[in-house]
Amino acid sequence: MQTSSINRRNFNKFLGAAAAGLVLPSRAFASSERAKELNILCWEGYNSDNVLNPFREMHKGIELKAESGTDDPSMINKLRAGEINVWDLINLNQCWAREQMWPEKLIKPISKERFMPYIEKMMPMFYTKEKGVNRFALSPDGTELIGMMQRFGPMNFVVNTKKISKALAEDEGLPMFLDPKMKGKFGLLAWDNWNVLHMCVASGFTPYKVHTPEEIETFKKTAQTLFTNANMIASDPAQLNQALINGEIDAIFSGGTYTCSVARAEGFNEVLHISPLKGPMDGKGSIQWFEVTSVVNNPKVSPLAEDFLEYVQKPDICHTVAMAEASHNPVSQMSQPAVFAKFSKEELNCFQWDTLEEDMNRSADYETIPDNDVLTAIYNEAKRSRG
Amino acid sequence: MNPPFWKKFFGPGLIGSLSATPFLLLMLFGFVAPLLCVVWFGLMPPKTFELLQAPTLENYRTIFEQTYFKSILWSLALAVATVIILLIICYPLAFAIAKIFRGGGYFITYAIVTSLFVSENIRLFGWVIGFMKNGVVGGTLAKYFDIQIDSLLYNIPVIILGMVYVYLPFMLFPLVLGIKMIPDPVREAAFDMGANRWQVFRKIDLPLSMPGVMIGSLLVFVLSIGAISEAKILGGQKVVTIASDIETEFTYAQNWPLGSALSTVFIALTMVVVFLTLSRFDLEKLLGKKSS
Repeated sequence: MQTSSINRRNFNKFLGAAAAGLVLPSRAFASSERAKELNILCWEGYNSDNVLNPFREMHKGIELKAESGTDDPSMINKLRAGEINVWDLINLNQCWAREQMWPEKLIKPISKERFMPYIEKMMPMFYTKEKGVNRFALSPDGTELIGMMQRFGPMNFVVNTKKISKALAEDEGLPMFLDPKMKGKFGLLAWDNWNVLHMCVASGFTPYKVHTPEEIETFKKTAQTLFTNANMIASDPAQLNQALINGEIDAIFSGGTYTCSVARAEGFNEVLHISPLKGPMDGKGSIQWFEVTSVVNNPKVSPLAEDFLEYVQKPDICHTVAMAEASHNPVSQMSQPAVFAKFSKEELNCFQWDTLEEDMNRSADYETIPDNDVLTAIYNEAKRSRG
Repeated sequence: MNPPFWKKFFGPGLIGSLSATPFLLLMLFGFVAPLLCVVWFGLMPPKTFELLQAPTLENYRTIFEQTYFKSILWSLALAVATVIILLIICYPLAFAIAKIFRGGGYFITYAIVTSLFVSENIRLFGWVIGFMKNGVVGGTLAKYFDIQIDSLLYNIPVIILGMVYVYLPFMLFPLVLGIKMIPDPVREAAFDMGANRWQVFRKIDLPLSMPGVMIGSLLVFVLSIGAISEAKILGGQKVVTIASDIETEFTYAQNWPLGSALSTVFIALTMVVVFLTLSRFDLEKLLGKKSS
């Protein structure tokens, strides 16, 4: 419950507005009408001119701005810090919309009437007649549609198949990295949220529960082992892929088709994402993500926000979004022949399309961890203690 | 005779105060207010986003219970090493630019300033390409000398190298200005009276260029203690700096109060080190504005 009319969010509203005044065209703020303005906060790909320019052509004179984020929490922080008045669309991984932004009233529902026809044509993991819409695109009570799903993929770890066979990696799963033989032979992609999830799986228990003291102790040992034994730690997948290709490391802890697709597109097919065969999440040892793009609960939201959501359903744009510069990913619309036809054999290969359905079936959803604060503190402690 | 009544209100004092108002307002809203906000947020309960709650020292307890001191020590150590190495590298170069090269000094100055036009991260990634396994260095050695070397990245010396490289201009230019303040006749007089090069350096050059040494060292120290990219990009996070810890708390950990408390500790520590250093050296005196 809010106990005061002055809080950090209110305080930061004017800071957000001030920042917006610097960043955005003043014209937008001089007028209460935002019919010709649209601001998108997104992962890379949606901010590409290849995606934005056709929309600009469709809406002559539009002030269209898209800013790419580097992690989900930072993007949500922007809205919390008062930029809810700035952005019209936000594009994040599945769990954040339903579990954080919706309860905090940072996003608003979108029109079911307008978007259900598109969702009904998506791949079965996003919609089936029997199960309906994927729960992450719905409000917790299931009544409201809170975003549109598009890019997706499994995210576990990446190996160089010249060094570690696919069969062995799939069979051993994430615990493979705890083997003393792996010391100095792997890199750690420091994407904290994913690392914590994968360290739970490597420890042999599901991340999606409040953990017992024994499990916390096991997690601590896992984190310490992984940080101690990692040859390198980087937050840039390209840097780790390079090390994997030139033989500095044999595997990357935390990685997906998302992180290795560009290396594969360049012909390094030995760089392969692995979805483990088994694990502690109801038998699953693999995790998958998909993006949900939601309309921000901006008091003066642009009327073009939903238009843009509809625009990115077009086959050409689906393909452009999928084949972004920094990563290549499948999209939920690939069940439609018109969209699938846009992809070449090489493009399908870069995000491991041939095994993708199988990989996704092996995967649990990416969700928030109930005792994430405890595990993150241990994770950071282990990272600091490495030196 | 007493000054006219109106002069008390419209005299130089008032004009001075009015002139200072824009700066004071800027400092108040641009520096003091955000700083107080950070300090106050550090007293809020962990994992909350509200500013008006009962203050608590919980975040400071967390900081002292956990191993954040390691990050602070690493940041301090890296900053001190950077300052010392830069002093050793830059002093001779600054001396040459100020006293020897004359016109040629401008070329070096422009060359170094030009490097600042390129983003720090891009320059650091240039080093990554140079130092990675089979990169520019390793590949060249392998091809022309048949020498195989491993990656030169992901260790502490390479982090320091990156910091020295990035912060070099911030040490060099204050040193050049400091050395330019040394009057040539004083040096010549010392040589005429039989002083050798070492004595001239110790008794004339170094004391008289001390303002440049001090300002350059403080600039580099304050910038490098907050450095984050070198340890991440070149060091492969071999060490975690305090700036990196603060970033994590504000982003992944979603713990703004702990991030604020860490920032407060960090700012306080930097201020203590800077003021302790300044208290040992009187800049006014060094600049010759005050007699001893």
